[in-house]
Parts: sequence; structure tokens; C-alpha cells
Amino acid sequence: MSHWLVIAGMAAITYVLRAAPLVTSWGQVEAGVARHLRHLPPALFAALIVPALLAPAGTLEGGVRLWAGVVGLVAGWRTRSIPVTIIAGLVAYAVLRWVVP
Amino acid sequence: MDNRTGQSEFRDGFSQTVPLWMGVAPFGAAYALAARAAGLNAFETIGMSLLVYAGSAQFAAAALFAGGAGALAILVTTFIVNARAVLLSASLATPLRRLSTPARAGVAFLIVDESYAISVARVLRGADPSYLVGSGFSLYLAWLSGTTAGVALSIGVNGWGPRGLDLVFPLSFFVLLLPYLGTRPARIAAAVAGVLALCARLIVPGSWYLLIAAVGGTLAGGVADLSAPPGEKRS
Repeated sequence: MSHWLVIAGMAAITYVLRAAPLVTSWGQVEAGVARHLRHLPPALFAALIVPALLAPAGTLEGGVRLWAGVVGLVAGWRTRSIPVTIIAGLVAYAVLRWVVP
Repeated sequence: MDNRTGQSEFRDGFSQTVPLWMGVAPFGAAYALAARAAGLNAFETIGMSLLVYAGSAQFAAAALFAGGAGALAILVTTFIVNARAVLLSASLATPLRRLSTPARAGVAFLIVDESYAISVARVLRGADPSYLVGSGFSLYLAWLSGTTAGVALSIGVNGWGPRGLDLVFPLSFFVLLLPYLGTRPARIAAAVAGVLALCARLIVPGSWYLLIAAVGGTLAGGVADLSAPPGEKRS
């Protein structure tokens, strides 16, 4: 039962964080704040990309995974297509794992 | 807004998010295995995915349950890990103002990193928000399917999942980042956030790095705006 209470609490906290700016007057953000939030997407993407490539487990990690990631990045840069980029990265990973013992 | 546009935007959002299933579903399965190992039963494990729908927070909660942490520690961790959701929703508040309050309350549940990433450019351009709903719903299904598969597999298996699949996320986000790099302030925001995120990831435990980098990068972009040549300011 206490597991369910914790789960309900987690659900409430998560939902309030997602909904508050949309259903309360916080949504009427001032111009200055809105201008800063314009740069949130590139900042968030970079924050999601860099550690996930270089330090997926919290410590710097090179090797096959990183090289496969680089292959994916190049494919992404050239094609700007998410499926192509993902497939290039995963195929590179599989091939490199097979080639590099 | 006319209904047909809404429906086709929903379909587009749903289908264009399908490539991310490759990353989300295994992540859901891995969460489920962690949660089962931590002593949650099958219903609790799936129930958490159904009600919370936040990958890293659920993972953290599973680890804390396993370590015997108290309810308060788990709730505080949930708050910290998900605090960035406020930023995501706030950045969409203006374009979503055209929706009714109940509609916004519904959309809010479906705003996660990946659906935000896929949809933000369109929504900010003023497109029908059904795209965001379709994308979020698509990911929700993948997350629940993955969780359910993980529960089914949870008969003493550890570390399930082909390695390297987690590359799906940074690679997808990279493609989504590219269109933003046209202006100098945006490039500065991305560069500062990337460096901050890596440093914080190496130094600070948990998921603080996302919040630190998102705030730092966003502010850096704002500061760069002030010194940008007039031509670039509005883009």
C-alpha cells in the first residue's frame, strides 16, 4: 500500500510541474522571461546530447560507443533525418563492436 | 480550429515520433526490470508508468526503493529530476493559450523531453497543438508497452536490452538541435549548456545536470541576445 502512496505522490509532483505554467497565470510570462525561454530548446538539446555521448554513466567514456555516436552525428549533420541518423549510429555500433574485440 | 487539421496533425505527431520508440520502449523495459528488482509488484511497476510517465524519475525511484529509501527522499528526488518540466511547459504557455484550460491541463501530461523536442518548433510557429498531443501519446504508448514487456521479462533477468540502443536519444536530439543553430545567441546557448551539462554530469550526482545546463544555457543565450547585431535579434 505504501508503494502506491509514493507512486501517487510522484504522479502529483510530476503533473503539477508540467501543468502549473499552462493552467495558472505563470503562463503569462513577462517579455524578458519569454525572450530567455526562446533559447531553452537549443540549451536543453545540448544538455541531453553531450553527457549522453561522452559520459553516459557519469564518467567519461570513449571507445566504440563514442565512435558510433560520432558516425551518427555526421549522418545527422548530412541528412537531417532522425531515422537515418539513428540507423547509422546503431549500425556503426554493431559493426564496431564486431570489428573491435 | 478546424477538425481535419487537428486530426492530421495528431497523426503526424504520432507517426513522426515512432523512430524514438526504439529508445523509449527498451528504456521502459529496463525501468520495469529495475522496479521489479526493487520489490515493486507487477501492478505497481506498470501503475507508476501509467501515472507518473517520467523515465529518469521512475528509474531514480526504483533505485531508491531498492536502497530502502523513505517516501520523502523519493518524492524530493522526483521533484529535482522533473523540475525542468516547468521550463518546458512555460516555454509553450504562450502558443497554447488558445486552448481551453481543461485542454491545456490534458496536454500538460503529455509534455516530456522527447515530445517537447519533436514538437516545440511547430508549436512555437503556431501550428495546431494536436501534433504535440500525438507525439506525447505515441511516446506514452511506447513507454507503457516497454514497461509491460519488462514486467513480462522480469523473471530474474538483469541488464536486459541490446547495448548501444541508448544512442537513439542523443542522436535524435542532435537532429532536432540543428535547425536552432542559425543564430549566434542560440549557438552560445547550446555550447554553454553542453559544457555545463558535461561538467555537472561528472561532478554532481543524479539528474541535476539537466536543470543546471538548461538554466545556464538559456540565460547565456539571453545575454548573447543583448549584444547580438540587430539583424539577428528577432530570429
